[in-house]
Amino acid sequence: MRIHDIAFYSIFFFLVGVLLASLNLKFLIIILITALLAALILTLHYFHLKPEIDFKKLSFLSLIIVAGALYYFWGNFQMQKSFFAPFDKKISFLGIVSDYPQRGASQKIAVALQAPYKGKILITLKPYPEFNYGDKLNFEGIIKKPEGSYANYLAKNEISAVSVYPKTSLIKTNQGSKIKSVLFSFKEKFVLALQKILPQEEAALASGLTLGERSEFSKNLKDAMSNSGTTHIVALSGYNITVIVSTAAFLFAFYFRKNIAFAMTLIIILGFVLMTGAEASVARAAIMGSVALLGKQIGRIYSFRNAMSVSAFLMILQNPKILAFDIGFQLSFLALMGITYISPAIKDFLKLGKEISQWKEILISTASAQLAVLPILISSFGKFSILSILANVLILWLIPFTMGVGFFTGFIGFFSYSLSQILGWFLHLFLYYELAIINFFGKIAVPLKISFGALGIIIYYTLLILFVVYIKRKVQRRLNQPRHNFAI
Amino acid sequence: MNFNMNFKIKIFISALIIFDFFIWNSIIFDGGHKNLQAYFLNVGQGDSELVVLPGNVKILMDGGPNSKILTELSKSLPSTDHYIDLIILSHAEADHFTGLIDVAKRYRIGAFIFNGLNGRGNTWPELLKILKNNNVPIIVLSAGDKIKYLNNRMNFIWPEKNNLPKTTKTLNETALVSILESRMVKILFTGDIGFKTENHLLGKYDLSVDILKVGHHGSKFSTSEEFLKAVDPKISIIEVGKNSYGHPTKEVLNRLASVESKIFRTDKDGLIKIEANGENIKIFKIP
Repeated sequence: MRIHDIAFYSIFFFLVGVLLASLNLKFLIIILITALLAALILTLHYFHLKPEIDFKKLSFLSLIIVAGALYYFWGNFQMQKSFFAPFDKKISFLGIVSDYPQRGASQKIAVALQAPYKGKILITLKPYPEFNYGDKLNFEGIIKKPEGSYANYLAKNEISAVSVYPKTSLIKTNQGSKIKSVLFSFKEKFVLALQKILPQEEAALASGLTLGERSEFSKNLKDAMSNSGTTHIVALSGYNITVIVSTAAFLFAFYFRKNIAFAMTLIIILGFVLMTGAEASVARAAIMGSVALLGKQIGRIYSFRNAMSVSAFLMILQNPKILAFDIGFQLSFLALMGITYISPAIKDFLKLGKEISQWKEILISTASAQLAVLPILISSFGKFSILSILANVLILWLIPFTMGVGFFTGFIGFFSYSLSQILGWFLHLFLYYELAIINFFGKIAVPLKISFGALGIIIYYTLLILFVVYIKRKVQRRLNQPRHNFAI
Repeated sequence: MNFNMNFKIKIFISALIIFDFFIWNSIIFDGGHKNLQAYFLNVGQGDSELVVLPGNVKILMDGGPNSKILTELSKSLPSTDHYIDLIILSHAEADHFTGLIDVAKRYRIGAFIFNGLNGRGNTWPELLKILKNNNVPIIVLSAGDKIKYLNNRMNFIWPEKNNLPKTTKTLNETALVSILESRMVKILFTGDIGFKTENHLLGKYDLSVDILKVGHHGSKFSTSEEFLKAVDPKISIIEVGKNSYGHPTKEVLNRLASVESKIFRTDKDGLIKIEANGENIKIFKIP
């Protein structure tokens, strides 16, 4: 086993540990599972099934599962320790807005409590007056402890409690970090630039597609997207970065020399990370995207597996809750894996050869990403419509263009309203079409209530992996030489 | 993705064609409105009306209680149109002005008109702040003032300047009341006024119109029998949503029925569009 293999498997088992702990299993049970697994792998060693795999080492590495679980429990403990405030009692408390506020029918602000209390809570307020990142506010109201899956959802953003419509007064502004203030106002201006040239629903979709900003989505739109199985297009993920990289590279390669195009693409990525408030998931994707781009630029092979596992590991070290509770994280990794591993398998399976048309390419990557994320979509949105595949095929091909034009338009809006208005006409056409599809399928789709269940998910992915491995083997045997996968 | 040259050229040419289409579209159809259109927007429990005069002059009256007006506006205006000539606020209560904050953020506005009485609470200053930041002129109007465009007139008949209360518990009786007069249709906009103001107006003006925006969401303290006799509306429109006041009240619905007015209501019919061309008045319900 080579060093990068050891690293990969260590990370893999660590993540398994975090996942098991997230499933609310008792620590003792996790130890038991680990021991069983280690024993099982060790048995394989004595059967001499596959001499090229070092089962002895693998069995030893599987013990890292326990470390993963411990890390998760420790994180939980830390979060509990970092929060202090009385529940269900009317109190007066101070807090500083610590994140980009979600605006819409109501205003939701994440607030870092100030002494004598501590921790982060989510506060729901009327839409006006608007508060901004860094505002120091005084509240009078009741703090409540969230329950069940909502608690997990909040915990992934390190939020421990909620308060609804407390009496609020502004004490001071600009109490947050300077850099974040600048970034968030940048984002606000970008979203506003789109809102100024597009009808409301289209502007909402455009901000969702480009920045993952979904607070302006009406209930109708949310329902239509969920029923038609298209919600994932507005989940901020590595896909956004992938699209930005390819759109920018495409546009720049059109007009500039290779080196300049490369530099400009990097600047675009940086700009995006800044605008989304440098969220962890985006930062991760940006790093991966940049490394891939660099690899292409200097002609080195970029190991997708290593880059992906390391960035997943770093993200989960930073916040272990995201593995099980952040759909954006799951979709982003699974879709990327789907595009990287499943689409070559499909191409080989269909015997398409090397030269295939762009539309087929898009169709196959779409299908691959869909196959990879299907169980997650179903289990998180609770329903699945067969027609959603058709809805997706009808709009997904246009999403990269919409994102690309959307970014460009919003950015131009900073400098010239008229120019952004002209670009907005094109953007409007794309969005109009996409919304028509979403609304149409949102109406006619008969969502099936399928619950996959943990067993179903495991079976599904096992079959998927077997398919990919089987095809790869077949091709390798035919070519009798190793194959490399290139990401992005 | 590797796009070949042929594909790039195709994209470029398609883009040019679309662009051309848009330009001709706006040249041919902009300002080509010959009819008068009035939209009664379905903003829930609140008021909001959009009048588009022949020649495409857009007047928005009130903005409802929240951002729902944006969806309604995008149903009423062409999607590339982000300009509103005039915003008229009847009175500064939350169910009439809150949505205007969202409008003022996203649309360019020619001027803002209201009765000069500031609202209470901490939401009202937000609207004034945005109007000021966007350099929108603010104009105070009262009874006797008029807005004229071609053959269309908007006559303001309430509140009277020297009759304005200094302090009020409720601003309802101070609402701007106006009659839109054109050769095609006459519409009376009543804001939230009650019996007191209605009685005052009865003796002073010719109130007869084709269409009445029923006062105060169908409250039983508005839209009296005598008032209705004078107004004699062919069509009455009630802007109302889910509420705890019992709006629209049985009393008002009965009074409207007794003058044989056709009733439309935003909670049942959705967005109501009126189109008048001088010969007839068409009514559309847009869900």
